[in-house]
Amino acid sequence: MNQLILAVLILMLGAGLCLLPIRNATRAGIGLVSQVLATLVAWSVVIPVLLGAPDITGEMPWAYPIGDLHFRLDALGAFFLSWSLPMTFLGGVYAVGYMDKYFNTPRHLGVHFALLNMISVSFLLVYTGEHTVTFLFGWEIAALAAWLLVIWDYPNEKVRFAGFNYLVSTHIGLIFLVAAVMILYTHTHSWFLDDFGDWMSHNPGTLRNTVFLLLVTSFGLKSAFFPFHSWLPRAHAAAPAHVSALMSGVIHKAGLYALVRFILLLGKPDEWMGWFLIVFSVISALVGGLYTVGQRDLKRLLGYSSTENVGIAGIGFGIGCLGLTWDSPGLVALGFGGGLLHVLNHAFFKCQLFYAAGCVYQVKHVVDLERLGGLFKLMPITALCFIVGGIAISALPPFNGFASEFMIYSGLFTGESIGVWAKLTLGLVAAALAFVGAVSALSITRAFGVIFLGNSRDSSLPEGREASRWMLVPMCIHAVGTTVLGVVPVLGLAMVAGPTALMMRAMPVEVVTVNLQSTIEILTRIGLISGALAVCIGLVVWWRFKAKKSAHRCSMPPGLWLRGANASHAIHRGQLFQRTSPHTSKASWC
Amino acid sequence: MNISLALIHWAIVLSMPILLVGLVNRTKSWWVGRKGPRLFQSAYDLWRLLGKRPVVSTTASPLFLAGAYVVLICGLLAASMIPILGQFAPLQFSHDFVVVAYTLGLARIFLMISAMDVGSPFEGMGAAREASFATFAEPALFLLIGTASAATGMTSFADLIGHLHHTPHYAIIVAPLTIALLILLQAEAARIPVDDPMTHLELTMIHEVMILDHSGPELAAMQYAAAMKMTLYAGLIAALINPFNPLADPVAGVLVSLVLMLIVAIAVGCIESLSARLPMRWVPAYLLIASVAALGSMLVIGLGASGV
Repeated sequence: MNQLILAVLILMLGAGLCLLPIRNATRAGIGLVSQVLATLVAWSVVIPVLLGAPDITGEMPWAYPIGDLHFRLDALGAFFLSWSLPMTFLGGVYAVGYMDKYFNTPRHLGVHFALLNMISVSFLLVYTGEHTVTFLFGWEIAALAAWLLVIWDYPNEKVRFAGFNYLVSTHIGLIFLVAAVMILYTHTHSWFLDDFGDWMSHNPGTLRNTVFLLLVTSFGLKSAFFPFHSWLPRAHAAAPAHVSALMSGVIHKAGLYALVRFILLLGKPDEWMGWFLIVFSVISALVGGLYTVGQRDLKRLLGYSSTENVGIAGIGFGIGCLGLTWDSPGLVALGFGGGLLHVLNHAFFKCQLFYAAGCVYQVKHVVDLERLGGLFKLMPITALCFIVGGIAISALPPFNGFASEFMIYSGLFTGESIGVWAKLTLGLVAAALAFVGAVSALSITRAFGVIFLGNSRDSSLPEGREASRWMLVPMCIHAVGTTVLGVVPVLGLAMVAGPTALMMRAMPVEVVTVNLQSTIEILTRIGLISGALAVCIGLVVWWRFKAKKSAHRCSMPPGLWLRGANASHAIHRGQLFQRTSPHTSKASWC
Repeated sequence: MNISLALIHWAIVLSMPILLVGLVNRTKSWWVGRKGPRLFQSAYDLWRLLGKRPVVSTTASPLFLAGAYVVLICGLLAASMIPILGQFAPLQFSHDFVVVAYTLGLARIFLMISAMDVGSPFEGMGAAREASFATFAEPALFLLIGTASAATGMTSFADLIGHLHHTPHYAIIVAPLTIALLILLQAEAARIPVDDPMTHLELTMIHEVMILDHSGPELAAMQYAAAMKMTLYAGLIAALINPFNPLADPVAGVLVSLVLMLIVAIAVGCIESLSARLPMRWVPAYLLIASVAALGSMLVIGLGASGV
C-alpha cells in the first residue's frame, strides 16, 4: 500500500512543481519524470496483485464524519491500473510534440502537465478506493481535470461550449451515482463498498433494482453509452488529440470499471439485469457504429466509435451477468474475460487512432475528411499506425480487437445448455454484433482511404511531412501493443485472468480453467497463423514492389484519363464532361 | 482417413473455382443460344494474366499490391475452415465460424483499400457499395449460424452443419437456410441480381470496378479469390443439403457434394440469364430477405423447442 501512497505523492509533487514559474520545457520534463516514477512505483505492487498475489489493503486515518479511509487493491483494480498509468504517461509524451508551438510562448504549459498528473492520481484513488468518499473524490478529480484539459483552446467559443457540455453531463452522472450511494448508505450505515456488497447480495428486490438502474445510468454517462453520449463527439472534437485519446481510451474506462465493480458487489444478479445490460449495450454499439458512418470530422468519427466499443464490452459484461445468474462458469469467463479484454484492447487501438488523427492535424491543421487525401506518401508511419488501429477496431485478425470479440462471440454461441430461446436471443445479439463489425469496418476504411490514399484534395493545405518524433513514438508503442496482443493473445488473457477469477469467486474452479484454457489455445493458434500469414504477405508484397521498379508505372494527365482527385472534384462540381472531353464526344471516357 | 478427406477438400477448393465460373458462363451462353467459352476458360485467363507485366498507377502505395495477396490468402484461410463436404473441415475448432467471417471481412477491407489506393472516384464508389452491402450480408450469416447453433448445440462450423441433418425440424428449415445462403453467395461473389459481372459500365459495377486498375498477377489473384468465394458458398449450400456424412460415407458424401455444387452453379447461371440486376437501392432489401429467411428458421427452432 505504501507504494501506492508514494505514487500519489510523487504525482502531486510533480503537479505542484509544474506550476512553478520556470521554463515550459522544464515543467514538461518534471511532469513526465513524475509520471514515469509513479508508474514504476505503482507497478511494483500492481503487477504482483494482477498475477495472483493476495489483495493489498491499507487505511488512512481521517476525521469524523467521513471516518478512516480504506483502500484495497484487488485484481480488478490492478488490471485497470496496470495500463491506465503508463498510457497516461504516453499521452504526456505525445503532448510534448503536440503542444510544440506553445513551448516558447507565455502560455503556461505547466497546468496541462499538472492536470495529466491529476488524472493519474484519480486513477489511483478510483481503482483502489474501498471507501465511497475516496471513490467519489477520485471520480470528481477525473471529471474536473478532463474538463480543464478539454478546454485547452479556451479562447475558441466552440471549445468552451464543448467543455461546458461535458462538465454538465458528467455531473448529471454524478447525481445518479450519489443517489445510488445514498440509498446504499441509508441501508448499511456504512461508507464501505464491502458493506454495500453485503447488503446488495442479501436483499434482492425493488430497492436493489433501483440502485442497479441508477448506477448503470451513471456509469453509462461516464462511458458514453448510447442515450447518454451527446457530450462525447463535441468534447472529443474540441480537445487536443492526446486528451481525446486519453478520455476515450483510458479515463472513461473508469465507468466500465465501476460497472464491473458493482456487478461484483451484487453477488448473484437477477436475470433481467444481464439481459438489460446486453440490450442497452447492443443499442449503444449499433447507434454508435451507425453514427461513425456519416462523420466528416475524423475526431468525431473516432469519438462515436467509443460509444460503439463500450457497447461491445458491455455485451460481454451482460453475458457474464447471465453466467453469474445461471451459475455457468463458462459464460462468466467468456463474458467478463472478453469484456475486460476488449476494454484493454480498445485503450490500445483507440489511443493509437486518436494519436494518428493528431499527427494529421499537426501537419495539415484540419481533420476534415473531405479536404485531406494522399497522405500515405507524406506520412507513411502515421498511415500504417492508422490502418493497424483501423483493422483492430474493426475486430479483424491478426490484431487485438479480434481476440476480445472472439471471446464475446464464444460467449454468445455458447455450447452450454441454457435453453433454446436464450440461445436464439444471443444469436440475434451476435448478428447485431456482426452488423456493428461490418459498419465499423466500413467507416474506418472510408476514413483511411479518404485521408491517406489517392491524391490530395485541397492544395491550400500546408505542405508537410511526418509529425514530430514525440508524437510518433507513443503512437508506434501503441501500434506494437495492438499487434502483440493480437498475435500473442495469451498476454492479454493473462492480464484478464485475475479479474475474471475474481468474478467467479463462488464457483468451482476446475471448470473455469478448463474453459479459458481451450479459448486460449484456439486464440493462440489463430494469432500465430494469422501473424505468420501477415509476414508471408509482407514478403510477397515487398518482392512484388521491388519488381515494380521495372514495371510500367502509369500516370496520365487527369483530363485524359479519369483518375485522381481532380476528377473527383470535377464530379462534385458537375464539371465532369467539360473537363474530361473538351473536344470529343461526351461519353468517350466510358 | 482424415488426411485423404483433407486432400480432397483442398483439391475441390482449388479446382472448383475455375470449373464453377466456367459452368456459370456456359449456362448463361446456353440460355442465349451461344456456344459459349470452354469450361476451363478462366484457367487459361489466369495463366495469361500471370505472365503479364502489371501497370500500376503512380498514386498507388504498397497497400495496393498487398490488397490482392491479402484477399487471396484470406480466402485460402477461410477455405480451410469452411465445411464444404459436410461434417468435415481441415481446420476445425470451436467457434471457427467467427474466424471464417472475420477473415473474409479482412479480405474485404483490403479489397476496398486497394481499390481506393489508386485515387479513382469509380473505385471509391465501388468500395462504398461493397462495404454497405456487406453490412447487410454479415448479420444474415450470423443469424444462420445462430439458428444452427441453437438447433444442434454444437460450436464448430462443421459440426453445426453436419448435425443439423439430425435435428427434428431439419426438413422445415433447410429451404429458408438454402435461400439465405444463395442470396449470400450472390452478394459475396458479385453475381446477378446484386452485381453484374459482365457489365461494361463502371457506374453500375460493384466488384469489377474495385479491381479496375489491377492488372497482371494481382488481377489474377483477385479474380481467383472471387471465384473461390463463390465455391465456398456453393460448398456450404451443398453441405447443407447433402444427406451423406463424409466421415461415415466418404465416397457418396464427396460425390453428392460435388454434384450439388455444380447444380448450384447452374442455378446461379439460370438466375443470371432469367433476371436483370436489381437497382442499387433495392439491393439492401434483397439482402434482407436472407436475414428474414434465417430469422424465420430461428423462429421455427424456438417454437419447435417450446412444443408448438
